[in-house]
Amino acid sequence: MAAPKLPPLPADKGVWDEHVIDRRRFLEVALGVLAGIGGLLVAVPGARFLIGNSLEVSATKWVELGKIADLPVAAVTQVSYSTRATDAWREVNQRGTVYVSSADGGATFTVLDGTCTHLGCIVQWNEGDSRFVCPCHSGHFTRQGEVIDGPPPHRLRQLAVKVQNGALFAEI
Amino acid sequence: MNRIFQWFDERTGLSGPIRDFLNYPVPKYVHRNFLYTLGGLTLISFLIQVVTGILMAFYYDPSTEGAYNSVDYISYQLPLGWLIRGVHHYAASAMVILVSLHMLRTYYFSAYKKPRELNWLTGVLLFFLVLSFGFTGYLLPWDQKGYWATKVGTEIAGSVPLIGGFLMRLMRGGDMLGQATLTRFYAGHILLLPASVAVLIVAHIFQMRFHGMAPAITKKAQAQSKIFVPFFPNWAITDTLCGLGLLALLVYMTWANHAPLEFPADPTSSNYVPRPEWYFLFYFQLLKYFPGALEPVATILIPLFIFGSMVLLPFVDLSEERRPWRKPVTTLVSIFYIIVIVVFTILAMAAYA
Repeated sequence: MAAPKLPPLPADKGVWDEHVIDRRRFLEVALGVLAGIGGLLVAVPGARFLIGNSLEVSATKWVELGKIADLPVAAVTQVSYSTRATDAWREVNQRGTVYVSSADGGATFTVLDGTCTHLGCIVQWNEGDSRFVCPCHSGHFTRQGEVIDGPPPHRLRQLAVKVQNGALFAEI
Repeated sequence: MNRIFQWFDERTGLSGPIRDFLNYPVPKYVHRNFLYTLGGLTLISFLIQVVTGILMAFYYDPSTEGAYNSVDYISYQLPLGWLIRGVHHYAASAMVILVSLHMLRTYYFSAYKKPRELNWLTGVLLFFLVLSFGFTGYLLPWDQKGYWATKVGTEIAGSVPLIGGFLMRLMRGGDMLGQATLTRFYAGHILLLPASVAVLIVAHIFQMRFHGMAPAITKKAQAQSKIFVPFFPNWAITDTLCGLGLLALLVYMTWANHAPLEFPADPTSSNYVPRPEWYFLFYFQLLKYFPGALEPVATILIPLFIFGSMVLLPFVDLSEERRPWRKPVTTLVSIFYIIVIVVFTILAMAAYA
């Protein structure tokens, strides 16, 4: 059905602008705007809900790695730790692998996070070659965690350490 | 029987559209060529995944504490659990193979050309959704393979410049792989992806029906292009027979080798060598060649380039020529990619043999 026309203007007056909006066009635009608002009302809270708490940075904590007396001071020791942590709505044992070594016979300790800085696999200590090897894409690191070769973009993460009551702690 | 049919038809009006769908004319040269069953077979493998997936959802526990045990229970204690999970496992690989072959057939027959550009694009999207199905699916057992492949996979997203950290956290639901990751992958795998794929399949088939088959490329086929057979039963029976063959093959493979389930996920294990599913192995190998600052080349530039060139293909290749032997550029490019994928896959397999 054609839109109702405006009554013609007197000939000496001029003509209606051809873009004068009619009722149907107005309703179409209004519908589009309302649908857009409705879509945003669903999409924006929906997106926020999906992002959820994923951007929260989890707090670090001090985790005991073992008694100083039990750690071999000459070698690089692999230590698997376990600590209670909150994983979303669940209380879990958060577990991980670090490497403990000492350059000065046990006076100070270096603790390296075993997570390869390339794509997150756990590196292995190779005593023969005296270096860390990542089994995924063959990245190599020195005993101190510096990159030797392979794809890792930067050195292994070195963790803050402290000694308390004869035990070694690392900030994880 | 006829009265019941009429009763429904009066109330639904469906008999006309159904009859049109079933009587759709299929060119005879298509009917004689098994390369044209690849799309239908991909659809059948998707339906197999839907059925076996729904069945497993009755037992699967999407929690980090229970996932592994529930999959172990499905695999080793439920009657026919080994069969349902095994068919789901092998059909996933079948789907990747079939969708790839279907795309290659479309590519070599130049069926992406005008006016079928949108059909090619929905196909490209479906291809990447199939890969996403694989990626989200193998985390669900929460075994070593799934855990480490997902860790590496999400780190790859994390290496994207500027937004990588956000993407990785969004995929994981936090900074570490855990309960939120598993729930996200589960919801994506069983709700978001199947719904998206179903919508795109309908669009894909609708467009294919709208335009009909792309013109034949051989003289023999062109000579037959004006002779048609109805979709039902002539073509449908070919699809059905091939589908039954596929199902038999999947059941046989399951029977011969049950779907693997590795040890439970262990974030501390340094002696586990993570390896993705075979269809991601070439990419896993590729990552070795881009050290340090070059990493984003392999993790984002190359995948974006491949996706971009697939999307742009029908808008760049505008020639009328459809015979692959007369189109050396597109043919050689595809052969180059196939060789790279095969060689890299073999290298990755050899590295861990």
